[in-house]
Amino acid sequence: MLGFLTARQAGLDDPLRLRRAESTRRVLNLKLNPDRDVDRIHGNGINSIDIETIEGRYMLSGGADGVIVIYDLENYSGKPQYTCKAVCTVGRSNRHVHKFSVETVLWYPYDTGMFVSSSFDKTMKVWDTETLKPAEVFEFESNIYNHHLSPIARKHSLIAVGTKNPKIQLCDLKSGSKIHVLQGHKAEVLSVRWSPRYEHILATASADSKVKVWDVRRASGSLFSLDQDNGDKSKSSSEAVNTAHNGRVNGLSFTSDGLFLLTTGTDDRMRLWNSATGENTLVNYGKVCNESRKGLQFTVSQGCSPEFVFVPCGSSVAVYVLHTGELVTMLRGHYNNVDCCKFHPDHQELYSGGKDGNILAWVPVLRASDMEEESDQKNKARI
Amino acid sequence: MNRKRALVSDTFKVKKRKTGSEKFGVVDDHGDGQGDIKSTIMDLMTLFPRKLFNDAVPQIVLKHQLYSIHDKTMVDKEVNKLRESGSLLMFQLGFDAEAFGLVFASDYKAKVLAGEEGKVTRATVEKFLEKVVSKCTDLSFSKDKMLREFLFTDSEITQLVKSGVLTVRDAGSWWLSIPNTGKFIKYFIQGRKAVLGMVKKSKYGEVLKDDLEQRRTTSHVKFHIKYHISDIVGAELVESVPTTSGTLLRYVDS
Repeated sequence: MLGFLTARQAGLDDPLRLRRAESTRRVLNLKLNPDRDVDRIHGNGINSIDIETIEGRYMLSGGADGVIVIYDLENYSGKPQYTCKAVCTVGRSNRHVHKFSVETVLWYPYDTGMFVSSSFDKTMKVWDTETLKPAEVFEFESNIYNHHLSPIARKHSLIAVGTKNPKIQLCDLKSGSKIHVLQGHKAEVLSVRWSPRYEHILATASADSKVKVWDVRRASGSLFSLDQDNGDKSKSSSEAVNTAHNGRVNGLSFTSDGLFLLTTGTDDRMRLWNSATGENTLVNYGKVCNESRKGLQFTVSQGCSPEFVFVPCGSSVAVYVLHTGELVTMLRGHYNNVDCCKFHPDHQELYSGGKDGNILAWVPVLRASDMEEESDQKNKARI
Repeated sequence: MNRKRALVSDTFKVKKRKTGSEKFGVVDDHGDGQGDIKSTIMDLMTLFPRKLFNDAVPQIVLKHQLYSIHDKTMVDKEVNKLRESGSLLMFQLGFDAEAFGLVFASDYKAKVLAGEEGKVTRATVEKFLEKVVSKCTDLSFSKDKMLREFLFTDSEITQLVKSGVLTVRDAGSWWLSIPNTGKFIKYFIQGRKAVLGMVKKSKYGEVLKDDLEQRRTTSHVKFHIKYHISDIVGAELVESVPTTSGTLLRYVDS
């Protein structure tokens, strides 16, 4: 580490290198910290977490009881011990609360004035954060599993929605109507993601074992479907040709540069794909336990070298190195299944939520505070 | 390329190496390079009992057995390289969608031809070995391919199935297979179940690897116990935990 600092000081190294090295060191030291806690509001399991990208300060969570909570993650108290307080809640007493479990919550990518939530009560609501009232409600005919807004879109403001129906709906925020349908899947769509690199590219994962990549400007079907054998028809049985996994595909995530796509499936495998060609990079992560019938939210780190993937695996979160498939560590701490996790890129922290109703914050612990420092603080307090 | 500065990922070696004496704890040798994988394959092959099958079956190693010794992605890459070069053949064994058997090409050809001595189907099998196995690295063949690319007739295909070199996959396609492996697969599955049972029945469902290797095996286990251990570790049916008294194998309930 000192080598990096000296090189930066002398101008031998790019400033980015030191930043990357420090981020990596912090991610490798993620632990549960008694100093950092998140307010416990949810009574039931937590299905989805999202941290806004503008300030990295507010976190949204959606629970199985239909409750949506917003937390403030910043620590302005001056003490190391901090509980992330809930700023506001859309509780059961709110007139507009979802009737059933909220499956996905997402901040509007450009500011925190708006967020979108979708639920098993077949509605997707666009909320105004100030008044906590829905500005727009989209109704669907079947349970909604997942929705996503493009984080970089300038030319469109579409929300892609994956439901129990094999057709993927695109809803327009500007006009408030459902303007487009993408056909191609044969079973329910469990996960949808826009590419963070190209605003018109969308990837969708379905229970029919296929992952399709679409360009929404194209009227005819998908661009390509991900094939786990890369066209080598001999490897699997003939029914399994052209599938991404040997079971339901329930998790999708692009890497932050948009060049790679990660998918997880109920065949206990995770695969890394080249997002431009759809080629399976054949990185072997081993057995990634996956029993979820619904979608799984997993996340990739940003700004580290090598990049890490955080995947909920049963009641712990597994951390793998992205390109080599090595298992770094298992983060244990939840009492029940973990359903979602989100990486905070600025502070290199991981937040995970699960069926036990807890959101745990995994904070980099680099150095235990010495005895001397503690007594110093006590002296200062007295004075 | 001469690297003047270290990569960031090298500084934070993700798996910290144990420095100093390796007296306790397992020596986890992460070998690199093709040579090591090939030598590991040959080591594992020596564990394969040839006498049990009266020398009719070539020595088979399963791909996931290599995962227990080397890094998975590297194993995949090296195995693919060896397959491309034609020295190694991969087969779908049939009892598990992910279980691939590896056999050295020379071994395979020798055994198959030895098995075909004096049979009517010998000529067809020789033709098949020359034309198809030497050139194509596929695991399965469809009827179209057989008829058009390799110019085999229907009756010849029947002969190949009869001799055991091809196994039916579904209507109109076949897996490449090793003749006389029925017994091998039966004993393999039996042995795997028995060894797994030994781990499961131990107190707390876990047992030290060295301890397991010393134990007496029942008559169900026909292969060397190390062969089975590398199989269950590689297939992730047991979790391998490094401890101060050696590697611990813990049964994974799934």
